[in-house]
Amino acid sequence: MPFQSISHSRIRMLIIASVFLMAVFVVRLFYLQIIEHSKYSILADAEQVKRLTIPATRGEIYMEDNGTPVKVVLNETVYTMFVDPKIITDPEAVKDVIRAVAGGNAVDGFAKLVDKKETRYQVVAKNVTRRQAELIKKKELAGIGFQAVVRRVYPEGTLAAQTLGFVNYDQKGQYGIEGRFDKQLRGKDGMLQSVTDVSNVPLTIGNRNVNIPAQNGANIVLTLDRNVQAYTEKALSDGLRKIGATDGSVIVMDPNDGSVLAMANLPTYNPSKFTKVTNASAFNNAVVSDPYEPGSVVKTFTVATGINTNTITPQSTYVNTDYITIDDRTITNATKGQTGTISIQHALTWSLNTGMVTVAQRLGGGTINRQARNTMYSYFHDRFHLGQMTGIETTGEVPGELIPPTAVEGNAVRYSNMSFGQGMNPTMVQVAAGFSSLINGGTYYYPTIIKGNLNDDGDIVPAEQKKPQENVISASTSATMRTMILKARREFYAGNDRKGYDIGGKTGTSQDIVNGEYTFDETTGTYIGFGGDTKPKYVIMVRVSSKGRALNGGDHALPIFTDISNWMIDYLKLQPKG
Amino acid sequence: MFSGRRAQATSQVVRRHRPDYQIVLFMGLLMLLGLIVMYAIGPQRAQVLNSAYGTDFYSASYFFTKQVLSLALAVAVFFLMARLPYQWLQQRSKQVLYAGLIACGILAVAGWLQLGIAQCSLGACRWFDLGPLGSVQPSEFLKLGLLLFASGFIATRTKQGLLNDTYKSIIPLGALFFVIAVLVIGIQKDMGTGLAMLAILATMMLVAGLKMRVALGLGLVALVAGVLLIIIAPHRVDRITAFLQGDSASVSDAETYHIAHAKIAIGSGGLLGVGIGNSVQATGYLPEAINDSVFAIMGETFGFVGLVLVLILFTALLLRILSVADKLPGLEEQLLVVGVFGWLAAHVILNVAAMTGIFPLTGITLPLLSFGGTSMVFIAGALGLAFQLSRYTTHRTISEGARYEDSRSWRGVGRTRYASRGNRI
Repeated sequence: MPFQSISHSRIRMLIIASVFLMAVFVVRLFYLQIIEHSKYSILADAEQVKRLTIPATRGEIYMEDNGTPVKVVLNETVYTMFVDPKIITDPEAVKDVIRAVAGGNAVDGFAKLVDKKETRYQVVAKNVTRRQAELIKKKELAGIGFQAVVRRVYPEGTLAAQTLGFVNYDQKGQYGIEGRFDKQLRGKDGMLQSVTDVSNVPLTIGNRNVNIPAQNGANIVLTLDRNVQAYTEKALSDGLRKIGATDGSVIVMDPNDGSVLAMANLPTYNPSKFTKVTNASAFNNAVVSDPYEPGSVVKTFTVATGINTNTITPQSTYVNTDYITIDDRTITNATKGQTGTISIQHALTWSLNTGMVTVAQRLGGGTINRQARNTMYSYFHDRFHLGQMTGIETTGEVPGELIPPTAVEGNAVRYSNMSFGQGMNPTMVQVAAGFSSLINGGTYYYPTIIKGNLNDDGDIVPAEQKKPQENVISASTSATMRTMILKARREFYAGNDRKGYDIGGKTGTSQDIVNGEYTFDETTGTYIGFGGDTKPKYVIMVRVSSKGRALNGGDHALPIFTDISNWMIDYLKLQPKG
Repeated sequence: MFSGRRAQATSQVVRRHRPDYQIVLFMGLLMLLGLIVMYAIGPQRAQVLNSAYGTDFYSASYFFTKQVLSLALAVAVFFLMARLPYQWLQQRSKQVLYAGLIACGILAVAGWLQLGIAQCSLGACRWFDLGPLGSVQPSEFLKLGLLLFASGFIATRTKQGLLNDTYKSIIPLGALFFVIAVLVIGIQKDMGTGLAMLAILATMMLVAGLKMRVALGLGLVALVAGVLLIIIAPHRVDRITAFLQGDSASVSDAETYHIAHAKIAIGSGGLLGVGIGNSVQATGYLPEAINDSVFAIMGETFGFVGLVLVLILFTALLLRILSVADKLPGLEEQLLVVGVFGWLAAHVILNVAAMTGIFPLTGITLPLLSFGGTSMVFIAGALGLAFQLSRYTTHRTISEGARYEDSRSWRGVGRTRYASRGNRI
């Protein structure tokens, strides 16, 4: 056979093989590029498109300072200092500069980390300030780098710690304003989406690049006044030290609009060092989260109820025997000996339980019947807002407890106890807000700690406040209550008050429950009062307690009130009467 | 051991006529396509290298300019080889082959001695570093030598009726290829070039009329040898494993990474591609984007339509070459052109198959499209040879008619009156 015919057929084989292979390639390409296109596009996106978060700046928190907002919580950029031991040329110089400049911020054993030649990244100092970082950079040593970290700073230390809360390591607000307004403070992170090359350098290729700017968090201005808060904390701490007590809370309010000027709790903590806290109860704002039996301070509410329903007047009398029997229980006075026919004012001044039970009985025409209980409940609950959430803008508020007459336990014994502040569990903020309505002319203002937001121009955009409830008691009842409460204070306790000002208040002492039983060995002392010139300008409520200590309102809580009250008169520059 | 070819063996009776300009057309189109891609991804490639080496040595037009120079040189070589009488070259085929072998040998020694002239990467020394002149891959020279020598040798043996003779042709060619394999696959670790040379030999022997039985036997030997070569070289084992993981391959190690990213580039191109200058895989994701992986980058840039066009151009070029071979009156000329086909086809098929994930990576360039001077110049030279020989084709009918002459002589074949297609010169 001639070679041409063999070669011809063999060449034909090569042609067929070539065309066949090319056809295989086309089919394969069709599979990859058409059928599997979306799969590979997703894979391509996954590695080509990088998403960078543009962090929003967390909003800062302001308090009032004589009417001007001042920062009490702010952000600070600090630097984490790291080294790349592999490219360090002069390890001794690096160690020296860390020791000399970063000093206290250096991590333990940083010298060893610098010497880890085989590694590429070692953190050697944390929370280095910008000035320190610049000093270190000036040395121009190889292998040193800084990474900016935004840190939450509480320059006032423990000031209003429970009200402010803190930001944890996940940058999440915890407790207080930080917790309650975490979302608003946080703002909205922006996003930078970009196609990048393999070393993450952004490219201007295609239409997959997105840039959403960050929305910074809102700056919040509190109604809290930095000076009032600071003095209140000092007064509380001093007062507790004097009496050797451990736990105490104070709330200072403006009775004319419900804004809280100070809330102090001991024990406390420093939000910058929240990890050092061993007892988590230090995080809680007891003023809103710890309901208790406020005791005799509630007598003001009972008397107001009686007067406003025209059941009694301050001058109404009853026969005090120091004992009164309701159903199967006998109620006694804590202070005995004021027996005989005495006025309601006298009973309030001497804090006689029998007087209050008498008022409750007269509400029902002689017995604490359903009508009496309904009236009390409607005043305590619906007008003075005890036993329900006030809506104050903080974390951990609880409703407490006020048993309605419809409940089985809402019987006459219960309501006789409630008339002098036992058998009910309101929180301090509830009592203080309710008390404000007794002495401010009869308007219930919902307590608030938020004044508004500070916008970029430095102006305060006021927060929307809940509409107050007017005429919870009449103006005249309120005027009567002011007088009665003034008298109640002046009778025994006014010695240390500034002269020329109207300062009234009421004590309260309640038994603590130890091992499930009420005990006289451990009692909580409460004092609530107001002060002002022509009208009340502040309401202060103090509560003190200590494990195993029998503390009472008059001896232990009242001095703290007096201290703050006298200071408030100066701070508010109140004018003395004639 | 390699006997010389008699110079007068080829019939010179065919008159030179108009060459097959389609070869130039397809080659030119492919070269221009390659140039467009270089223009489009050159800046990305320069950026990748600049950031990797921390310099700004590579300008945005660096690769385009170099590719233009390579193409100019390649076109010059193409026309040189189209003019330079192939007989003159074939007479010197042994010298070319020996020169190629010696060059590879010197490179091996230089690499072993770690001389600066040997340009090595990852323990494989494939290039001579000629300083400012760039670098040269001696195995390409060896490829040309093999093409010239083997076409003559096989043609001679065929005419002697000894093509299927174990001692006269199989063993000598086997020994030659063994030496080449040691130098190229063994020392240079260049499986792709080795396979291309094997393809040159195989296509020539097949067309010369190697018996299928012998062909199968040789194929079996090649397979066993291939398996052995794979087993002794860990990087080849990696490539095989990477290949066997198929489309579900992860991108954790280098080999699977390369294949997976080639497929991502091709797959994300879709029907029409992302367009010129929009390739992202070329910005460093896909290794060898500009050289061995240029097919994948073209897939990303021009899509399915673009790649099918590329494949059509290659197919057309390959079929043109085969058609030239088919119509050549002399066996030596036929084998020479078939060898050129084997050379080109091996590169195209191995490269495309690797990029589309249907054959393991061999590290071979895509002719005329990949960046790189040596490969471009030599393939252009080989095509130049085929182009030169396309001047001497005859009508096929004559050779078919020869069947009835009951003769293996050369007479009656390729008479001049049939040689031209009316374009007498």
